[in-house]
Amino acid sequence: MDKLEIKDLTVSIDGKTILDGLNLEIKSGEIHAIMGPNGTGKSTLSQVIMGHPAYKIEKGEILFNGENINKLSVDKRAHAGIFLGMQMPMEIEGVSNADFLRTALRSKQGNDFKLFDFIKELDNQIDDLKMNKDMVHRSINLGFSGGERKKNEILQMHILKPKIIMLDEIDSGLDVDSLKLIGESVTKYYKENKPALLLVTHYQRLLDYIVPDFVHVLYKGKVAVSGDVSLVKEIEENGYEKLLKNYANKLEENKSNE
Amino acid sequence: MNKIIIANDEITLKQIDKTLKVEADKKCEFLNVKLIKIDVLESTNLIIEHSNIKETKFEININIEDDIDFKLFELKQEGNYKIYYNYSIGKNSEVNVLKIHNTNGIKEQTKVNLNGINSKITHTLKTISTTEEKYDFLVYHNAKNTYSNIVNNGVNIKDGCLNLKLSSFAPKGTIDCNLNQNSRIINLTNNKCEINPNLFIDENEVIANHSALIGTFSEEEMFYLMSRGINKSKAESLMIKGFLLNESGIYQKELEKIINKYWR
Repeated sequence: MDKLEIKDLTVSIDGKTILDGLNLEIKSGEIHAIMGPNGTGKSTLSQVIMGHPAYKIEKGEILFNGENINKLSVDKRAHAGIFLGMQMPMEIEGVSNADFLRTALRSKQGNDFKLFDFIKELDNQIDDLKMNKDMVHRSINLGFSGGERKKNEILQMHILKPKIIMLDEIDSGLDVDSLKLIGESVTKYYKENKPALLLVTHYQRLLDYIVPDFVHVLYKGKVAVSGDVSLVKEIEENGYEKLLKNYANKLEENKSNE
Repeated sequence: MNKIIIANDEITLKQIDKTLKVEADKKCEFLNVKLIKIDVLESTNLIIEHSNIKETKFEININIEDDIDFKLFELKQEGNYKIYYNYSIGKNSEVNVLKIHNTNGIKEQTKVNLNGINSKITHTLKTISTTEEKYDFLVYHNAKNTYSNIVNNGVNIKDGCLNLKLSSFAPKGTIDCNLNQNSRIINLTNNKCEINPNLFIDENEVIANHSALIGTFSEEEMFYLMSRGINKSKAESLMIKGFLLNESGIYQKELEKIINKYWR
């Protein structure tokens, strides 16, 4: 059982506070969805968990299986089993997808890395994700459509077999068929490996395929509201405004009671 | 393939066929300059491999006749080089130059005269610079509808100090010319590197592009690779391989060996 705990996390970038005392706990086998209006810190949260150097942790802890990983390098977090499927995956000219994935898997597996197994696995996953075979020889994400980029992130997830998976707006830029394919692919991985899954999304449509156990709404760098999947329906019907108004009123009440 | 070997300050001609006329001579004993004159008579390829040059300076004059497709591949290693190149390219001829450098110092001037209508040159330099390297490119579009693309990819390490100066000229009357300069230096030191791109254009109907970039790899690129479990040093090596090996043609394996020398 793997556990990721975020305790009282306050994060800033260029002196601006983005996350403000955020708390969250995710365990193996659980699916969490992070939702919220634009600019509330959803993507920041996933990037900070992965260790993006642009963000400064002002306060609080990120614990992975009880160990503080605030200062752990990005690659070591990945080795520990944390994976971030990015909203805007980078283009890297000249580095082929095959070289990239081989190096990544070899870094993780060390002497246990077997080239033949890697090629076989890669081939199978490319078929399952209905990707073009020649993409493995092309530069990372260079000239890829939005959908191809997102499929490439999911391909990497399947190859690297992480334990804590964060997918940041993996549904953006996808057509209906690609969304279904990615939804099913992530669900298949989840059923086989039971990782902890954190989905950052704006829309219900991804959650039709990957049904979350917990839904959290981020507001002003905090988890404002948490609930089960019914919260998604409420957001779809009423928007964030009403939900967050209740939250703001509650905060005011607490303040005046103090 | 036609081959010229320049090693230990001596010139050796190997397998030169009838497509080329090559003369090698001393130009100036006092200044220690050697002259190589190459006339390209038919479409062909040529390899020039340089190593262990210490004191000799070289002047290489390459004259490409009309209607010719000429490819030049050059590899320079282990030496201190001072070379002057002078290309004259005739009408409808296309020249492709690929140079791979890993030396102990270079001062090089390359002058290209696109003399004939529809003449073209694509000149690609890939260098791992560990000491001072200075390159000066002068490209003259002397006729209509001529094309030049000067591509420089350099990685600056150790005591490297890479300096690129590029000047392309399109005088009045040279309509439909296409001038391109693309230079990128990955500077992994605190030493100063420079790119000076110049386009001297006195004609309205031309296309001109230039890009010049000096820097390290971006934080986002490093983050992306490291987020998949690749450590910083391996991520750097992967990106350098990508940067240099891309379109390295016949020298891919040789260049890979050179890269592995510095980034294992």
